[in-house]
Amino acid sequence: MIENLTGTVEITDLDKWYGDFHALRRISLSVADGERIVICGPSGSGKSTLIRCVNQLETHQKGKVSVGGLELKPGAGNLAPIRRQIGMVFQQFNLFPHLSVLGNCTLALTRAKKMPRTEAEALAMENLEKVRIPDQARKYPAQLSGGQQQRVAIARALCMQPKVMLFDEPTSALDPEMIKEVLDVMSALAKDGMTMICVTHEMGFAREVADRIVFMDEGMVIEEATPDVFFSNPRNDRTKKFLSQILH
Amino acid sequence: MSLLEIIAGIFEGFRVTATVTALGLLYAIPFAFVAGVLQHFLPGVRRVLVTTVIEFWRSSPVIVLLFVFYYSLPAFGVRMSAMTVASLVLGLNIGGYGSQAVRAALQALPHGQVEAGLALGLQRWTILLLIELPQALRSMVPTFMNQLIQLIKGTALVSLITLTDMTYRAKELAQVEYNPVGIYSGLLIAYLIICYPVTVLGRSIEQRASYAESKHREF
Ligand SMILES: Nc1ncnc2c1ncn2[C@@H]1O[C@H](COP(=O)(O)OP(=O)(O)OP(=O)(O)O)[C@@H](O)[C@H]1O
Ligand SMILES: [Mg+2]
Repeated sequence: MIENLTGTVEITDLDKWYGDFHALRRISLSVADGERIVICGPSGSGKSTLIRCVNQLETHQKGKVSVGGLELKPGAGNLAPIRRQIGMVFQQFNLFPHLSVLGNCTLALTRAKKMPRTEAEALAMENLEKVRIPDQARKYPAQLSGGQQQRVAIARALCMQPKVMLFDEPTSALDPEMIKEVLDVMSALAKDGMTMICVTHEMGFAREVADRIVFMDEGMVIEEATPDVFFSNPRNDRTKKFLSQILH
Repeated sequence: MSLLEIIAGIFEGFRVTATVTALGLLYAIPFAFVAGVLQHFLPGVRRVLVTTVIEFWRSSPVIVLLFVFYYSLPAFGVRMSAMTVASLVLGLNIGGYGSQAVRAALQALPHGQVEAGLALGLQRWTILLLIELPQALRSMVPTFMNQLIQLIKGTALVSLITLTDMTYRAKELAQVEYNPVGIYSGLLIAYLIICYPVTVLGRSIEQRASYAESKHREF
């Protein structure tokens, strides 16, 4: 049963091209159930591409991606049920502007999971409490601040009760004073034991939350280490250069 | 004949004008949506095919289409009533324009919402129906109201294939009584009487939609 998937992610020898451009080069990464991974690297290094291959928003040409032991085959017709097990949070929030906060949270529950409305709304409220905005449930996205919108986006993903959560630079589009409220929600989620793959340049968050940090450059995984080792003793020169630029 | 009598006489053709408009919409609306959505989605050759069909209906002169369908097709064994030809031709012509509004509105939406829907495990057509089209509809309202008025005005041509609409009635009256100024002014007024309320209605729907939009939209 797809509902009983574990939160493991297995990426094996992944290659991805955009036309002639080799965006991901033989990437392998395994993420254990409950593990928290932070992916970082310079702009254009393929972080988004990699994380988007996990739920097949991008299709790869070679290699294998599986979640909970189930392979996601590029272009397969039955992706939707597996995607319901994989939550994703985007840099630009991507809320549905014509639906209220509650509507955003319940749409996929009632449509994809066929959950009765009252049950869906109860689940939505539960997750809106988790992200600390139950009082905004009746508002529309445009009436919320960026930080609130991103927390709604997290709640919307959590409503599907995913086994894995993917975050693609969730705080990069936020004003500085709103970054913390989103990171706090993400830290709480990590404490609950959610499997998380986060693309982020918030090194404080990485240090505190990550089990492992993956550094990418030019479509390759350059270095993989625990936060301690990564920050105090990076092996690769490119990692060192990146860290010196990002940590002032 | 007083102007009022003339207008009353002309309005004997109102039922036909209204019927052509209503039936025309029955062709126009589904055609606009299906063609616009297909043009938005389909790749390659199939998209070119859809575009060709749209362009045929959009770019041919309506009056020529009316003549071809009403007078020429029977030679090939295709026989349709004047009412069917009128509503089909006018409807698909306006629907062709409408399809471009549908496609443009769909293309204008930020793609991130589709991705968010897919990531939630929604099927592509559910995303179209529940996320893209409801937003596209709002931005299409002004264009659609304009095209409804185009359709009403376009019905004046159906008198040329024997339908007794308002224009046909005016021509009948003109044969009975020599008063071109009174009769054709009356005809103009008759169309204004119909189109003006539609314009007003359109504007109020537009305002309501753009109010809702300002409440919903952020970018
Ligand atoms: N749809 C696309 N078509 C062509 N090239 C693309 C496409 N998407 C990404 N690329 C290219 O692939 C490379 C990796 O892009 P990606 O978005 O994964 O980088 P990133 O590490 O997420 O960068 P950033 O930190 O700026 O978000 C870049 O060079 C980018 O230009
Ligand atoms: Mg990116």
